[in-house]
Amino acid sequence: MAPWLASGLVYASALALTAGGITLLYITTRTFNFAHASMATWGFYVAYTGTVLYGGSPYRYFPLSFLFGSLLGVVCYVGLNRPLLRRRAAEITLMMSTLGYDLVLLSGIQIYCDYLTHTFRLFPRRVTMSSYDAEIFGMSASPLILPLTAILILTVFHLFLAKTKFGISMRATIENPLLAGVSGMNSDKVYLAAWVVGGGMASLGGAFMSMAMTGTPVMGMMTLPFMFAGAILGGLYSLYGGILGGFLVGLAEYGAVYYLAMLGGPWVLGYRMAIPLLIMAIVLLVFPSGLAGLPWGSLPRKLAGAMRGVKS
Amino acid sequence: MIITLLVLAVLAYIFFTGGVPLLLTILLDFAIFSIVTLSLNLEVGHTGISQFGRVIAVIAGAFAVGAVPGRLLAWFMGLPHGAEYADDAVNYTVVPKLTELLASSVVLSVAFLLFSLILAAVCGALVGWLTSRPAIRLKEAYLGISLLAFGDLMMWVGHNWEPLVGGTTAVFIPDPFRVVWAYRFPAAVGTALVLVFLTYVLVRRLTKSPFGRALNMIRDSDVAAAVCGKDMVKLRTYSLMIGSALAAVGGAFYVIYAGTCTAVGFTRLTWTFWPWAYMMLGGIGSDVGILLGVLVLVVARTLILINRTTLFGFLMAWGIDPMWLEYALLGLVIIVVVLFMPHGLVPAKVEPVLPVERVRQVAERRPSEQPDSA
Repeated sequence: MAPWLASGLVYASALALTAGGITLLYITTRTFNFAHASMATWGFYVAYTGTVLYGGSPYRYFPLSFLFGSLLGVVCYVGLNRPLLRRRAAEITLMMSTLGYDLVLLSGIQIYCDYLTHTFRLFPRRVTMSSYDAEIFGMSASPLILPLTAILILTVFHLFLAKTKFGISMRATIENPLLAGVSGMNSDKVYLAAWVVGGGMASLGGAFMSMAMTGTPVMGMMTLPFMFAGAILGGLYSLYGGILGGFLVGLAEYGAVYYLAMLGGPWVLGYRMAIPLLIMAIVLLVFPSGLAGLPWGSLPRKLAGAMRGVKS
Repeated sequence: MIITLLVLAVLAYIFFTGGVPLLLTILLDFAIFSIVTLSLNLEVGHTGISQFGRVIAVIAGAFAVGAVPGRLLAWFMGLPHGAEYADDAVNYTVVPKLTELLASSVVLSVAFLLFSLILAAVCGALVGWLTSRPAIRLKEAYLGISLLAFGDLMMWVGHNWEPLVGGTTAVFIPDPFRVVWAYRFPAAVGTALVLVFLTYVLVRRLTKSPFGRALNMIRDSDVAAAVCGKDMVKLRTYSLMIGSALAAVGGAFYVIYAGTCTAVGFTRLTWTFWPWAYMMLGGIGSDVGILLGVLVLVVARTLILINRTTLFGFLMAWGIDPMWLEYALLGLVIIVVVLFMPHGLVPAKVEPVLPVERVRQVAERRPSEQPDSA
């Protein structure tokens, strides 16, 4: 396995989860969730606290991270998002409300870090979670386990959307809230479910992310643009597109930086964040509906047509 | 009105307990953030652009002042002025010499200050033009996120590209206020307040002019504006350029006052989200409200900061720094404003095109048609 691929895979699955969460919340509640940043960081700190204080592998505490994220999501929905949705607030207002929530959560994270430092004599402001990682086949387990976990979660979620009654009503509400409401589906429950899953995915993604990079109180805040880049690459209208977009952005960042640094020297490393943003800019300017908006079915035919000079 | 009086009372209280330096600190914060927030309001409140990258223009102004005027002076004096100017070992020795030069002449200091501010405004307008390229294509949320990401990118470029503003280390800036020695602080605050006044007048005049009304029209309905023959692309570009130039002046003044410019200091939290919170509290689209909103929050933050040991001492027992409550305060302000007072402290009023008195005069001139139209 190439050296960048190991942490790249972990990072990419983290971005896939968070970008998927952002997309899910956007297609259900029209909310660009800024609070994803601090929700992710909280997920990391839940896993960190469990690992450091109660021992064992960090993976044991990942479900707890997911639950905590769900809790944060429910609080955000009930306290903030639902009143605004009922008022038919504008997209910008919804965005700003989650920004306020994010700042409150960030303040909580910082206070919690101070508390950990003072009470347990820990150093929670620079954490290398990968040092707690288990080993499989003589190498660290995270590049293997985490992408598999991400795929597992997404499969479960897909089955839930495709096979269960509530999942189908959820899809219906996403497609057309008005029609779904007329057919007797409770959009309130659907939105709540979206926040439960979206918040959980954010926190779990944050816990994943800490396995690939140094965990700090502003980890989520720093990576928020990349989560958005993944969601935008996915097109923002398809959940699977968002997940795939996040994954591609993560892999592209690690891979491109690795090879560019080999070519151009280590100074490239400082500008790594330009890569996801470049992807985002290209997507927005060239195919604004993202991956999901591309005509995958007819693409080969169209490309062939374009080569022959036929306009389709 | 009540809030204004309340804030003034608090200011008087601060003046009597904390003395002049504290008051000046508050006024300086107020001035710098007022400029930035007024410019934000021009773009968000009056034009309806979702500007989540205010930090871009602020960085443009700050980096321009950090990189260019000092180098020019060094060039005139024959001191190192190339890429090595920003190297901290060189910078540390060069800039005090430049400051001494500035301290020797009032004219030179004033010229330096004016040149820096104008340079910042030009750079800001340039960056504003650049950001207007996507702004005319993208929908509001997409645009907001692109601008936000671009702001982060600019900060990291400044952080990594050392010749610009020293990279991870700070670059010092020759001090044009050294001429007045002991009165440096009051002079800086006075200049800042003059800048706020000029910005306020400019924004007021602009938004009342036909240009400003066209901006409001775009915000309310771009289709209607297009029907009336208003070129949306052009107007949005102008609005972004003017707003960014003003914000750049704010950023430039901040680094001139501080005397140093560090790239990592220009986070989106401080220079995008705080101005947004100020603007939302004051009332989006209301220029008087902006000033009040900035004042209220700056005073509140300063009070938290200076009273943190007495008010929040119980937190210190747990090892918690009450400084973090600042974030919570800001977040709660945004949440409360969004939920309970969406129009802010001073809601933006729909103002008639002409003053009522003037409308009456016009009506009196044509008595035969509609005498009571006023």
